[in-house]
Formats: sequence, structure tokens, C-alpha cells
Amino acid sequence: MEQKNEDLFLQSLDGNLSEEQRNVLLNSAMDSRFKKRTDQFIKIRSMLIRKEEDSFGPFFAERVVNRIKSMKKEIDYQLLFFFKKYQLAAIGVIVALLALNIIFSDHLTVKSVLGFEDEQNDNLVTIDLYQDLTE
Amino acid sequence: MAEQSDEMLVESSRAGDLAAFKILVLRHEGKVAGVVRSMLGVTPEAEDVGQEVFIRFYEALRKFRGDSSVGTYLTRIAINLSLNEIKRRKRRFSIFSNEEEGWHKGETDDRKDMNEMITYEFNRLEPDFRSVATLRLVEGYTTEETATILGIPFGTVLSRLARAQKKLRTALEVHLK
Repeated sequence: MEQKNEDLFLQSLDGNLSEEQRNVLLNSAMDSRFKKRTDQFIKIRSMLIRKEEDSFGPFFAERVVNRIKSMKKEIDYQLLFFFKKYQLAAIGVIVALLALNIIFSDHLTVKSVLGFEDEQNDNLVTIDLYQDLTE
Repeated sequence: MAEQSDEMLVESSRAGDLAAFKILVLRHEGKVAGVVRSMLGVTPEAEDVGQEVFIRFYEALRKFRGDSSVGTYLTRIAINLSLNEIKRRKRRFSIFSNEEEGWHKGETDDRKDMNEMITYEFNRLEPDFRSVATLRLVEGYTTEETATILGIPFGTVLSRLARAQKKLRTALEVHLK
């Protein structure tokens, strides 16, 4: 019974008791021990309740935003590092292909090193002429 | 931008607008500080936990659907992180002697101020009771809201609150006359 009244009292702090519950609580308040307990609790509550806006001190928001920025930088760096491995591998493949082109080409020109056919214009004309003759 | 609603600021923050997020931090710092300090006391770790609350919120922005208000969502994170910090403290103190208890002992005799005494006794409540008392008594949430934030039944809030108030009353009885 006592516990039920205590619960009712705590609920009453929300301000939504029914008429019947309110009457029960009012009757309980006749008991001086119960009244004393609730008075003590109300006193404690009034001292605990936050009366003014709390704060973590000046520039707290700036500190949070700076932490987020540095976190973002860290993530960017990790991504960069992740892709760097692939960049290095790609550079290695390109260098290897260039080296192969240099080794296997008959003559060293920029085009041959890059793997383009080093066509001679004279040859192209010759082929065209040959094609004309056969027609 | 300062007059924008929380929802609009959340939307902008999601798009990477840190200025919008900063306004959210400024707007809710007071509530988060109140909850964290009530749970942990005014300690250097309290600000670290406070920063962590907002960083967790920033990381969860994509998942935040707005079912609860930003304030309630932040309060929930603040309570959870504070409870984690209390657990960490307990582990630390159980490893390095009974330092926590010793730290309070010397002070009790000299403590004259009633507010300090209440704060002291409040900080001695078990974490589960303290979280209920923080939301219900310090922050002024209703029993229903407290139950929702903590994810516990309505009746559990009432029973924890009843036990918390009994402990506080018993500890402070002499001074409450």
C-alpha cells in the first residue's frame, strides 16, 4: 500500500492523476510520516532541478567542429593511402610497358616508346599506289 | 541560419554543412552538459564525453530519421556514453585501489553547503538510478519520456525513482529538517 502511494506521489509530479488517484493521494497525505517523506523529496527535487543553462565552457562548439574536421582529414588521408598503393602499381605497369616497347622496337622514337606504330608516309603512299594498279 | 529548425539544420549537416552542425551543437550544448555533468560530476572527462556525444550524433546523421527530437536523441546518447564512462571508471578504480571512495571521504565532514551535499549523495547513486533521477529530477522529463529515452518500462522508472529518492532522503535526513 505504501509503495503504491509512493508511486502515485511520483506520478503526481507529472501532473496527470485521475480524480480518484488524486483523492487517494490526498488521503495518504493525512499520514504525517508519508507527508514528511514527500516534503523531504520535494525539497531535494527543488535543489536538484537544473535552474540555469549548463555549459562545457567557451568555444565548446568550435572544439567539436574541429574534431570532426580532423576526423574527416584522417579519413581522407586513409583513402589517399589506400589509393596510393594502386597508383604505385599502375605506375609500375606503365614503366614496364614502356621498357618492353623500348626493348622490342627496331628504332627509338617517342612514338615507338609509347607503343604507337611508327608508320612511314612513303609506305602509305606505296600501298595506295599498289591498290590503284590492281583495280 | 540560427533561426532554422533542428530538422533543417540536420538536413544541411547531412549535406556536409559544418556551420549548420555547429548551430546544433550550440543549441543543445546546455542539455547535453546538464545530463553528462549530472551523471559524471564536473570532471575533465565530462567534456570529453560531451564532445563524443555530438560526434556520435554527427556520425549517425544519415540514420537519424527524426522519430524523436534532436534533444531527446542527444540525451539518449549522453546517458549511454555516461554509463559507459562510469563502467570504465569502476574498472579503473577497481584496478588502482579504492581511490574513488577515498576521494570523497575526506570531504564529507567539511561540507557545509546543502547543494554540495545533495550533489555528493546524488553521485553516489547506482548508475541505473542516477540515470533515471537525472532525467526525471534534474532535467525535468516526465516519467513517460524518461522511460522512452532509457528504453525501460514506465513502472521501472517509478520503482528506480522511488529507490533513488529513498536513498537520497535517508542520506540527507539530518540536513533536511
